[in-house]
Amino acid sequence: MTSDRPGESDPTQLTIAIDAMGGDHAPGAMVQGAIDAVEQLGVRVLLVGDEAAIRAELPDGTLPAGVTIRATSQVIDMHEEPGTAVRKKKDASVVRTAEAVRDGDAHAMVGAGNTGATMAAALLRFGRIKGAARPAIGVPIPVPFAQPHLLVDGGATVDCTPEWLVQFAQMGRAYARLRLGIDEPTVGLLSNGEEPGKGDELRKQTFALLDGQPWFVGNVEGRDLMSGHPNVIVTDGFTGNVALKTVEGALKAAAGLVFTTLGAPEAKEAADVVAPLLLQGVTDYLDPDTIGGAALLGVSGVCVISHGSSSARAIVNAVALASDCVRGGFVDRMQAAIVGEEAYAG
Amino acid sequence: MPAETHSTHEPIGPDEVFATVRTHLSEILEIDDQTITLDAKFAEDLNADSLALIELVEALEEDLGERTVGFTVDDEDLGDLVTVRDAVDYVVSRLGAGAA
Repeated sequence: MTSDRPGESDPTQLTIAIDAMGGDHAPGAMVQGAIDAVEQLGVRVLLVGDEAAIRAELPDGTLPAGVTIRATSQVIDMHEEPGTAVRKKKDASVVRTAEAVRDGDAHAMVGAGNTGATMAAALLRFGRIKGAARPAIGVPIPVPFAQPHLLVDGGATVDCTPEWLVQFAQMGRAYARLRLGIDEPTVGLLSNGEEPGKGDELRKQTFALLDGQPWFVGNVEGRDLMSGHPNVIVTDGFTGNVALKTVEGALKAAAGLVFTTLGAPEAKEAADVVAPLLLQGVTDYLDPDTIGGAALLGVSGVCVISHGSSSARAIVNAVALASDCVRGGFVDRMQAAIVGEEAYAG
Repeated sequence: MPAETHSTHEPIGPDEVFATVRTHLSEILEIDDQTITLDAKFAEDLNADSLALIELVEALEEDLGERTVGFTVDDEDLGDLVTVRDAVDYVVSRLGAGAA
């Protein structure tokens, strides 16, 4: 039997657990992503899920070196209520994936299934870092030809207090240092106007708590998403998720408009030149598979949540992100951010 | 004697259950335990969302399960727990049922 203890053969080699059953293209994309990640990143991967279904996706049916399987009997579907499903389905792939990290059998987890269930499994099995009231999802928002923003929270905690948003700002800054390599990340508060008095009570009270911090730039508006400024945009999980989906839908509509226009007969000559450049630009900057996933902030472990439609390439990038987080001391950085940034030494 | 119903500890009364609930809630919600009263509503007063309630339930099951083997909370009942008092009463009744 192949051991799946992390770093047993090489203490510097990371093991990343993947929920093999989560995602629109599971388990095929997860299996291929695992194989590619082992080859390209030098990590080990623990695939967690229906063993027969996983093996059916293996090229010539054999398990490559560096990839192991942990068999489970249940799957949490996309429509299931996350918290209840995690409690009821103790042998669900995403639950066992989180437990692999909790129990020290993997250094980090990647999941592309039910986002709420992935978050709940990580929260309930890892626990929260001390002082972090609620978790948040740190989502990179692509910025054409520039460094991405981080949107915090992308949908983990729908109803927030002002104090929680301040914690999201603190954790977002710590994550921006790790993810974007920015020494002193700036933070803006998503609102319906730039002036300090704009917004609902949550926004106004949060503004008052953040005001005076040298890194706080004040309110930002929806149109600032994808502008590149500031580095971190903080909001509650409800607004953040709506904003994310709005950006996603607008980009699809804009891309559709451009390519439909270029598809017209009279534009053929121009399209032959411009379309490949546009496609390359979209792939380089806007393709979610390039980003790989978003990190769950505030829990005592590394959990990367990937897009439901993740391809094998997205899984490789998610594994790379998870590995970077582990090596970069992600949990310690989040803890330092919560207890006070003066404690940060990373 | 069936192991599932056997308890080797003293019975747990409402005051102790309240203290236990309060301790876990203050840790989960990162709030002062003195702000947690019996009449406090989970959602409106304590900002406890559904996942926070599940964190509480899992903590109670682990904690009280060590003293009353087999103690569990039915997920279907979670929606009925509006206040801290509801939770305390529920736990006391479940503990009583388990020990009977």
